[in-house]
Amino acid sequence: MPIQLAKSLKLHRDKVWSIDCSNGMLATGSTDRSVKIIDASQYKLLDELDNTVHKKAVRSVAWRPNSYVLAAGSFDSTISIWNREGEEEMDNSWEMELLAIIEGHENEVKSVAWSHDGAYLASCSRDKSVWIWESDEMGEEYECISVLQEHSQDVKHVVWHPYLQLLASSSYDDTIRIWREYDDDWESAAVLNGHEGTVWSSDFEKSETQLRICSGSDDASVKVWKYVRDDEEEQQEWICEATLPAVHTRAVYSVSWSEDGHIASAGSDGKLVIYREAQPGQWKIVDQQELCHGVHEVNVAKWIKINGKTMLATGGDDGYINLWNWDTSSTSNKNN
Amino acid sequence: PVLQNVELLTKLLQLNQAPELTTDESDEDTDDMADELGVPADPIDPQEIYDLIAHISDPEHPLTLGQLAVVNLKDIEVHDEGYKDRMAEVIVKITPTITHCSLATLIGLGIRVRLERALPARFRITIFVKEGSHQSENQVNKQLNDKERVAAACENDQLLGVISKMLSTCK
Repeated sequence: MPIQLAKSLKLHRDKVWSIDCSNGMLATGSTDRSVKIIDASQYKLLDELDNTVHKKAVRSVAWRPNSYVLAAGSFDSTISIWNREGEEEMDNSWEMELLAIIEGHENEVKSVAWSHDGAYLASCSRDKSVWIWESDEMGEEYECISVLQEHSQDVKHVVWHPYLQLLASSSYDDTIRIWREYDDDWESAAVLNGHEGTVWSSDFEKSETQLRICSGSDDASVKVWKYVRDDEEEQQEWICEATLPAVHTRAVYSVSWSEDGHIASAGSDGKLVIYREAQPGQWKIVDQQELCHGVHEVNVAKWIKINGKTMLATGGDDGYINLWNWDTSSTSNKNN
Repeated sequence: PVLQNVELLTKLLQLNQAPELTTDESDEDTDDMADELGVPADPIDPQEIYDLIAHISDPEHPLTLGQLAVVNLKDIEVHDEGYKDRMAEVIVKITPTITHCSLATLIGLGIRVRLERALPARFRITIFVKEGSHQSENQVNKQLNDKERVAAACENDQLLGVISKMLSTCK
């Protein structure tokens, strides 16, 4: 079954920049400064966060794993932390209360991400740095435990590995950096060079047997990078294993690696593309959807899980969130 | 013509079915009939783009970008079929007045803001500094075409104030 639009929701008055999904709850961030919480299984708007908290666009939203704690990073250079109020009452009412405002970045926060165990929050900014934060039990106090400054330009995006304490950052300096914990501190483990333009986003493979990451860039390409080895006290060695079939004609703003191994990409040309690895290191396009937000740009594409079912969520400059059905089992007999 | 009629018929049939795409408050522009039927409006041409940006004021001279030949008709490229539901592209090459002009980025941003406000959503706008006209071409070009930086700049009140002043001479 090809990509099919399941639901189109006009949630924002301006660009949708970011989507995150956890426990079937979608959070979205927009230039209109608001954050919305949606029950994705019922397409129901549960709450709209107080939109006076951020003075500028909300660029990035992220749920802390196994909780109803949400981080929102804004162009106003702050990060807000929210929690569901009265969660223990188990009623249907939803209200997110503000827990904390984190300050530290000099200017626009571009991305926020929680580590797989929720222990760390990473943030990045136009100030060229990546910050790693640790919070108390309540999630009210945040302490910066490391400021990583090796990027030479804006850091556009951060993402954690699904199982390891490994962080990847993508930058306007055209590189991706991998960061690891070392001696109670954090250090640069590798620099991935190869894109010929800003790297807008990256996402790790959800595998326990190998370590790979995909990336999408302003150069209109999507690449897959593979960890090769780690000599003691040396930099990790990564290689660019594949450049995916060229299909985008403009900047790729978002990439997402599904649990069952598919990569999705979307960007300025309005296309949503799904790729599958036919042979190790050899990728094929298995499906694509043109104009998935009409003539508007697509800022984010993300594999999400709703009631055990995998779907794709996209957010565009038109203020819409689109949810797409796609049957992953159908790809084995397609385009072979 | 026969083929076109078949297409029209298909489109008409589609029109009679309830559109599936926008299920919520569809506050999209109400399309006129001609557009729904796939008949293109007049495509936008370079002259129209020129007319939109030539009257922008230079941030430091009492002259417009057209008068200073920072923008020139021959340096404007447009790819547009006129269809509202297809992408279109405009590329503007600017020639800053002096090679180390630190205001090149500001001028480029002013042009971008003007075009983003005036052109339909189908347009992708690329702004370049003309080859050889600026010391740090690549840097300026990268910045002018970085969507996120432009969006953030447009939320900077001070910068927006300067740009509003530059655009106040536009018709």
